Amino acid sequence: MKLGAFEELVLLSVGSLKEQAYGVVIKEMLAEKTGKSPSIGALHSALYRLEDKGYVTSSEGGATAERGGRRKKFYLLTSAGRNALIDANRLRLEFSRNIEGLNLEFGE
Amino acid sequence: MNSPSFPEPPKWLTWLLRKICSERVLETIEGDLWELYGIRRTKMSRFRSNLIFLYEVLDMIRPFAIKRKWSNNSIHTAMFRNYFKVAWRSLFKHKMYSSIKIGGFGIGMAACILIILFIQDELSYDKNYERKADIYRVINVHAAPEKTDRWASFPPQTGQVLRESFPEIEMAGRLIPFDWFDAGNNQFRRQDRMQNSYEEGFAYADQDLIEILEIPMVYGNRTEALSQPNGILISKSKADKYFPGEDPVGQMIVLNDNTENPYVIGGVMQDFPSNSHLQFDFLISLTAREFWPGEQTNWCCWNYSPYVRVRPGTNKADLEEKLLLIRDGFMVKYAEDQGEADVDNFKYHSFMLQPVSDIYLKSKGIHDPLAHGDYQVVQMFGAIAVLILLLSAINFINLSTAKSANRAKEVGLRKVVGSYRKDLIKQFLTESFIFSFVSMLLGVVLATLALPFFNTLADKTLVIPWGYWWFIPSLVGATLFIGVIAGLYPSFYLSAFRPIQVLKGEKSRGTKSSRLRSVLVVFQIAASVVLIIGALMVHRQMTYILNKDIGFEKERVLLLQGSNTLGERIPAFKGEIAKLAGVSSSSASNYLPVVGTKRDGNAFFKEGRSRLDASVGAQMWRADDEYLETMGMELVEGRMFDLDRASDSSAIIINQEMVKQLGLDNPIGSRIENFQRVWTVVGVIKDFNYDNLREIIRPLALSGTSFGEIISVKIQSQDLQASVTQINQVWDEFMPNQPIRYTFLDESFARMYDDVKRTSNVFTSFSVLAIIVACLGLFGLSAFMAEQRTKEISIRKVLGASFNRILLLLTQNFLIMMAISLALAIPVGQYLMRDWLSEFEYQVTLGWDVFIIAGTIVAIISLITISYESIKAIFVNPVKGLRSE
Repeated sequence: MKLGAFEELVLLSVGSLKEQAYGVVIKEMLAEKTGKSPSIGALHSALYRLEDKGYVTSSEGGATAERGGRRKKFYLLTSAGRNALIDANRLRLEFSRNIEGLNLEFGE
Repeated sequence: MNSPSFPEPPKWLTWLLRKICSERVLETIEGDLWELYGIRRTKMSRFRSNLIFLYEVLDMIRPFAIKRKWSNNSIHTAMFRNYFKVAWRSLFKHKMYSSIKIGGFGIGMAACILIILFIQDELSYDKNYERKADIYRVINVHAAPEKTDRWASFPPQTGQVLRESFPEIEMAGRLIPFDWFDAGNNQFRRQDRMQNSYEEGFAYADQDLIEILEIPMVYGNRTEALSQPNGILISKSKADKYFPGEDPVGQMIVLNDNTENPYVIGGVMQDFPSNSHLQFDFLISLTAREFWPGEQTNWCCWNYSPYVRVRPGTNKADLEEKLLLIRDGFMVKYAEDQGEADVDNFKYHSFMLQPVSDIYLKSKGIHDPLAHGDYQVVQMFGAIAVLILLLSAINFINLSTAKSANRAKEVGLRKVVGSYRKDLIKQFLTESFIFSFVSMLLGVVLATLALPFFNTLADKTLVIPWGYWWFIPSLVGATLFIGVIAGLYPSFYLSAFRPIQVLKGEKSRGTKSSRLRSVLVVFQIAASVVLIIGALMVHRQMTYILNKDIGFEKERVLLLQGSNTLGERIPAFKGEIAKLAGVSSSSASNYLPVVGTKRDGNAFFKEGRSRLDASVGAQMWRADDEYLETMGMELVEGRMFDLDRASDSSAIIINQEMVKQLGLDNPIGSRIENFQRVWTVVGVIKDFNYDNLREIIRPLALSGTSFGEIISVKIQSQDLQASVTQINQVWDEFMPNQPIRYTFLDESFARMYDDVKRTSNVFTSFSVLAIIVACLGLFGLSAFMAEQRTKEISIRKVLGASFNRILLLLTQNFLIMMAISLALAIPVGQYLMRDWLSEFEYQVTLGWDVFIIAGTIVAIISLITISYESIKAIFVNPVKGLRSE
């Protein structure tokens, strides 16, 4: 099961937003961290793929007035998702050990 | 539900979103988008938020989100399969009607494809310059009260003034595109060879011009190719011809055996593409060139066509305004210094900047010697293409609604079983898509087959652009579009049947829609009549022009080109061919009464009045004393000048128009002057057309010279070929190094009207196509009518009605329609033809006979079409006709 670059970013945001991850918030978080804001279409497309792969689960709830009374769809990181992120991280670390200027020790 | 503090996106956008997204994802997405919209509205304008919202909505067209029509719902595919099956069956069940629909559409589409290719090619001229938007040709406008003239020519110094006096102009380059000095046609050879060959397509150009026009180079450098005073730039194909496989830059060439002034090749350019308004093979440098002493600083002689490149972002109108400085600062001043009387005339002068990509197609009324397309023709062809398509769509609509009775039962049954109306509409649209798709295939095949013929007709080299990415998609798009256009009305019409009535077997509604059908048929017939009127008129005008008495005899005149290389030996050569039995006379002159030969405009006055009167603009031609005889022109009074009389060196002959304009009461012996000298009028010639018949006859003067680039030979014997052979022998004795080149005057004359002829041919062909399409429809419709009334006809026959009576009964509706069509078509045709004819000074009259002929042709064709089926129906045995279903 592969994890695309953008998918990984989305997965990271879902993970870090804990219980609060839904479309708009994820979009804002990505905008803040990466400086680029994905379109809602692109974002949901990635979320649906992640859900198909079993990296996130979703639940509906929390309709508000600003949403015209539409329910939100909250996403949660699954353990499979967590493992995928760990794998991706490990891979990155292994590579960066061998690159001058990247092999810094990260603190906790 | 929503408090106003939360702005809502526009309704239609949310509607669109719902159309796109499937139920599964809609709620979440919609919520997210609304929320974002609200956030955005606090930061920016409503319009921008809406725009972004629209983008986000369209961005939802992604595999995961869109509604799926087919896969998740097998009932749909089953339905469509059924629609297909039924459509296919009905297509084959009514073979005749189907083939009429498809055939008509196929022809229509083929015509459209061809015409669209043609139009595309016409519109593609001069579109590929990097700085396209900044390149202009400067046009000189003379808007006198009685007549506006436009010229693409200016005095020599205009180029320099443009370059130096206007900061907006980055570059200004001049061109001399017409036959002048070494521009035009020449005998051409390499300096190291003796054999001359004849080459066309010479022009003078400034170094700046080739940079403005971004001419791509093969050898040499664009920024200096024409910077040498005797430089010449040659095209790649000519370089390959004379210097195969080498880099010819720096090589010398000789024109017309003028070894004193050879040219040096400064570069080799790519040939001008076929869609460039310029088509030259040789550009001669204008650097440091003076055609006579002081010519370059003189404001007399309007021979140069300037092009400019302006700074990006320059306002065209402002610059045109500024250019008036050239008029006020230079032209008027020069005229005053010369003491010209009509200085006042300059107030009518102004300047226009013509964008480079308009030169080819939009130069109507601008005098220049370049080949042009005609924007009107492009529009006209476009209109015809649309018309043909429309006619075939009408056939489709008419036949579909007419045959609806046969489908009524099916519709009724489907509705009973539970079809909704929209399903039926879908079904019938599917059917028309199938039709339009099959027709498109047929159309493409037909277009491919017809393309070579069309190319000959229109004098183009078009190819079907299979290789381009846009071609197939646009075909598919067109197919869908036409399917919808043609299928929309019938599908709504057919799906509206009430099942109870239909299934009870009440009279079907086949005749109910007959009013619409009649209107459409009237339109078809009227369109056919208009087209025939057009074709007839264009043809008439052509015949008229080619046979009009033009004041000279163009038949059996042989034109020997390139006689200038004979030089002093011209009289000797003339003497030799005069001995031949077949030759009645010959004359040397550069000036001939057909477009494309030399022209020389001059200003004339009565003697001594050059500072008092307005000038009379006249052509100043030079020829030898056998000119009139050879050309079959008529002397009205006086005599022809005589080259052997010394006193005749200032003798001049003028035409009647010139007598009129100068106001000479007794022309013979009166003295007139132009800026060079004073002439004595010794003869007056009858006016003859020396220009295109789009022009009126203007003043013309003729004076003597024994020299000429062309020797015209009048041949009296019937055996042209034998005479040509004899003349050829004489030529070879005189000029062993130069092969003979000749044309005939009447051919050159006819060539002036090639464009009209081409237009006429294309027009006629497409008119015929349109009429065929219309007839197909009529045929189908009359067959249907006859079929409908078989019972009625049988009863009438049994009761003893005569054949004629029944025929009249069946066709009277059509006769009425035809009358209405004619009444509509005649004014339209008249209006359109007036418009087209108005560009000719010499027009045929629009007689009633044209309308009568056109009407008769259409009436006969459609009557035959209609009667065929009707008569067939009348001959049916009544027993057969009355047998109940």
